[in-house]
Amino acid sequence: MSNIAGKAFAMNLITPIERKQVKWNKVAFWLLTPSKPRNFLNWFTKRLGPRFDFAAKLNGLITLSMIHYARWVIVKPEEWPHLGTEQPREDPAYAYQLFFSNFNGSWAQYVDSFSAGIPEGLDGLWNKNVGWPTSVPQGPFHDYVRHNEVWTNYYYSAYPMAASNDIKSSKRLRNELLDFIDRSEKMGAKEFQREYHKLLSSLQGNPNPDFTAEEKFPCLGQMAPTPIVSLASVAVRRARVEIRSVEEVHDAE
Amino acid sequence: MPNEAGDAYGLTALCPIKIGDDQKCSFASLTRAYLQQMQETRADEDSPMASVPNTYLCRFFVLDNVNYQGKPAVLDSLKSPYLVFVAELHGDRDTYLEGMWKRAEPMIREVWKHCVGFGSVVTAEHFVNYIVRCQVETTLYFNGSTDDPLREQLKALYLQQEFSKFAFASTRKSAEDLQRDFRSFVARTRPHDVARPTWRAGASDLANVVVSGDESENS
Repeated sequence: MSNIAGKAFAMNLITPIERKQVKWNKVAFWLLTPSKPRNFLNWFTKRLGPRFDFAAKLNGLITLSMIHYARWVIVKPEEWPHLGTEQPREDPAYAYQLFFSNFNGSWAQYVDSFSAGIPEGLDGLWNKNVGWPTSVPQGPFHDYVRHNEVWTNYYYSAYPMAASNDIKSSKRLRNELLDFIDRSEKMGAKEFQREYHKLLSSLQGNPNPDFTAEEKFPCLGQMAPTPIVSLASVAVRRARVEIRSVEEVHDAE
Repeated sequence: MPNEAGDAYGLTALCPIKIGDDQKCSFASLTRAYLQQMQETRADEDSPMASVPNTYLCRFFVLDNVNYQGKPAVLDSLKSPYLVFVAELHGDRDTYLEGMWKRAEPMIREVWKHCVGFGSVVTAEHFVNYIVRCQVETTLYFNGSTDDPLREQLKALYLQQEFSKFAFASTRKSAEDLQRDFRSFVARTRPHDVARPTWRAGASDLANVVVSGDESENS
């Protein structure tokens, strides 16, 4: 089994919801998805008080900045795929909420960041899931996640050495670099050096509160494998070492 | 569309596995064993999924059943085990699945061979239709990364790495040397060209990560 692909960790969480609760949870999720009509509705509900500011409940996810992609999928009892008479039709007592996340860091870092960073948002996202203990205190919350987590058997990442922040910052670096290449084409050496230093300064990130989150983030830095790159790579290296040792024994004989 | 966040697409497929066994092992266990063997014997850059265009991340697992939550919950269960395929990809779902069939057909045949109804899948079109029948719609999709094509993401990562090295090595250069060396850097790294040089999809080692100007990359 492998939940790790370099810097990415895969989490699968499958939890039951009472059938009658599904439509309300779907409305809550709908309110969290950005779109023009929903933004207008959110603008209206926000005025009813912080409890009704649904969009703000996801802001913590963005601030956590450790997630590549995450999704929630609510499967009603009649929505389990049925491919013909060879397969008995499902008739579960509950609907199920499937949560899939690709994040950076360890299981404990992730789960605790959620619990500490967006406890209310978390309780909203798993609202009335059967057995949900609330996200604080952390002990019962950890137990619930462990109990309902399903291990991944095969996990692949296109960029095992990169965290989600590397992907975002490298995009900004490339855009600024392309712009600088065009701008600097006809510059003299002194002007080039001055502008180059401005580019470096901008790419190093600026903690000034007037800057956007993107501008604050440093874009320069070296990526490298994590100490345990992935279970797959570890296994491959082990196999290579074993093959080499067998060859060496044969050569010696 | 809730499956999409910009140009990123979240695909979730629940593919029923046949109930039964090959006289030694259940079909669900055979599927799981194949997936685990694939994970343990191939580095990420050698994964069949590394050759499938626009795969950001993907996973497979076997769902045997749902968990009991304890009293007063009802004891619930599924009637079939499921092969769960979850992919984060760029662009259109059907184009992606066609590309997956084209680039990774042998792996697809092995992974899905114990699934209900997969025996009649013999073309890319069949495969697309099969996955669509098994797909469940996302309720909420969160994109904490970017939704650019994978080639652009990999090129940007390559440039970040190379430009950081260049910047560290150029701190005390004269204006003339800096300008000359920067031009050489641009000629070598070709920042406008997403095809190459770039990072290899799935590479987990600095020694293997760069696709040089002479190599071609599929993704």
